[in-house]
Amino acid sequence: MKAKVQVVLCKCCTEMPALLDMEKLAKAASDSENVLSVLAVDAVCDGKQLAQVVNNVKDKELDRAVVLACHKKDISPALLKAYKRAGVSEYMVEIVNIREEVVLPHRDEPHRAQAKAETKLKAALARARLLAPLERQSELMRTRNVVVIGAGVSGQAAAREAAKSGAHTILLEKTGKSLKAPGVIMPNSTLVGCGGYGGNFKLIIKAGEKIEELETAAVVIATGGGWTHLKGPLAKAVKDAIPLYRLHEQVQAGVLPKGPIVIVDTPDPAGKTLRVQDFAWDDTLETAMELKKKHPEAELWVVFQEMRAFGLSELAYKEAAEMGIKFVRYDKAGPPKIDPKNPTSMAVKDFAHGELLNVKFGTLVFASIPANPDNEGIADALRIPMTAEGGIRRGSMQRWPVTTPRPGVFVCGSALFPKPHEVAEREGEAAGSMAGGFVKPGTIEFGGVVAEVEQEKCSACLTCVRTCPYEAPFIGKAGKAEIRIQGCQGCGMCVGICPSKAIELHHYTDEQVTAETRTLLGGDF
Amino acid sequence: MTERKPRIVAFCCERHGMDAAVLSARSGRQYDASVRLVQVPCTGRVDGIHILQALEDGADAVFVFGCLEKNCYYDTGSIEGRKRVGYVKQMLSEVGIEKERVEMFNAASTNAWAFPEAVGKMVEVAKKLGPIGGGERQ
Repeated sequence: MKAKVQVVLCKCCTEMPALLDMEKLAKAASDSENVLSVLAVDAVCDGKQLAQVVNNVKDKELDRAVVLACHKKDISPALLKAYKRAGVSEYMVEIVNIREEVVLPHRDEPHRAQAKAETKLKAALARARLLAPLERQSELMRTRNVVVIGAGVSGQAAAREAAKSGAHTILLEKTGKSLKAPGVIMPNSTLVGCGGYGGNFKLIIKAGEKIEELETAAVVIATGGGWTHLKGPLAKAVKDAIPLYRLHEQVQAGVLPKGPIVIVDTPDPAGKTLRVQDFAWDDTLETAMELKKKHPEAELWVVFQEMRAFGLSELAYKEAAEMGIKFVRYDKAGPPKIDPKNPTSMAVKDFAHGELLNVKFGTLVFASIPANPDNEGIADALRIPMTAEGGIRRGSMQRWPVTTPRPGVFVCGSALFPKPHEVAEREGEAAGSMAGGFVKPGTIEFGGVVAEVEQEKCSACLTCVRTCPYEAPFIGKAGKAEIRIQGCQGCGMCVGICPSKAIELHHYTDEQVTAETRTLLGGDF
Repeated sequence: MTERKPRIVAFCCERHGMDAAVLSARSGRQYDASVRLVQVPCTGRVDGIHILQALEDGADAVFVFGCLEKNCYYDTGSIEGRKRVGYVKQMLSEVGIEKERVEMFNAASTNAWAFPEAVGKMVEVAKKLGPIGGGERQ
């Protein structure tokens, strides 16, 4: 079938004609093969003109379009919706960013810019001819369940928020303690396995001695920190030591713990099981200074191996020393020791002076909390990545702070890294409402830009299975790789790496990419 | 005869890479017009064959522009991209083509300076080395 292309030239109000010869561009477009209609509009983002463009497509029964406008992300939602209503698939519209790629960065060279714009138009046409209509599919969620792993502070907050969106919440609690939270609480239960994909998970849960299967739409991980699992000689010697956040809470509440107070960086000074965590140092200085300001008579020691006070925190370090907080630096060769028989005195060798100090203390505070050891099993079951510290890794620091790379799996609280109660609660609420929003529509959409395996070429080498961060490829019954399209995010990593070239990414096929590159290189500018 | 203009192909990821390039334009930065930007969903999608084909079709230099490695939209995509570029570099040096012609750059979406800087570097390389095979391919 011959492609019937519509070319839309958006003037972007006055920006494009200021540099480019729009008539020449329109002529270049209408002279090209397959182009049946060329339309110049003032601004395609204007509703009326968009309607005009779309009506033109409908009247002339065109099947694809090339739009010369601005950044894809800015105009695509409205534009693609309008084209879809007119019967043109959203995957048959090629948007060329003329404004940000040609007009704005090449203001001083109008001739080269003109040539570049024409070449870009030709390249887009070359690509448009090769485009194929793709279909998105949807599937009903079998349940509206949201499973929250861990019924601590953040887990309960997540359940509360998820319940607001009409989800059925199920809380898995490792211990048998009684709780009050919306939804079903399963005591003494842990997650051991997981199948399926976001929207239709099949979890395998160990409840007591029994193994149960549970279908769910979304999972929230709220395992919390591993404070109860502190390992190391100091933690063993002092049973009533507290974490830094608890000291912070006490200071906020106006309670002065039994002094003298010693803040030490880690319960395992030899550094075998724990790493000194970066974040704790600013908090240590802050809390210590706050305590000292409220109770100037309190005796405060900070024992550390490495002070990582970043940037302006360095000033706080200095201020804290001036306030009378005593800092002791130790070396790995002479770590602090506490005799278990006398858990009120710490022997530490000062690195600067080489002297052995005996610090008497009433309260021992640890500035770092290890990650929960349960995380490993859960991450293994759900197949999600972990951080080097043993926490669950979030999808993206800025955009998805409570989401894992796997769709439908959310994470909050100290499962990411240790944090105070209030922050954990807020994060729990965020993760809960994300999970609720995920479950609310009752359907999952997938497809479109996804990878597909050409079975004859596949040599079942497992490269794609290992590469994909979303666990989409798997070896099917025929002994060849297949892509679980519900999990595919359309990045094309497996396509680029496949040694047999058996995988193809729809909408970005090798042919399309090469055709575009070749046409672009054909232009002289 | 006018001076020969370099031909540079940029494979740019649709996420942070493209955002950085758009931001650089919007903040008024100017760069050489000889760059040909090709959008791919992720730098992990870039195949060795794309880069080699571009060089064969007349590109003087090719660069791949993607997210920062620890902040990639697709988790490990830009790491895969870097591996791919390294692989092509090795192949080029085997056949006797300067491996500097292919390079990988990373940027966060807010790094407006990154794209013009990458273009500048590659234009310099293309001008220094000239067309592949000494110009008879023109």
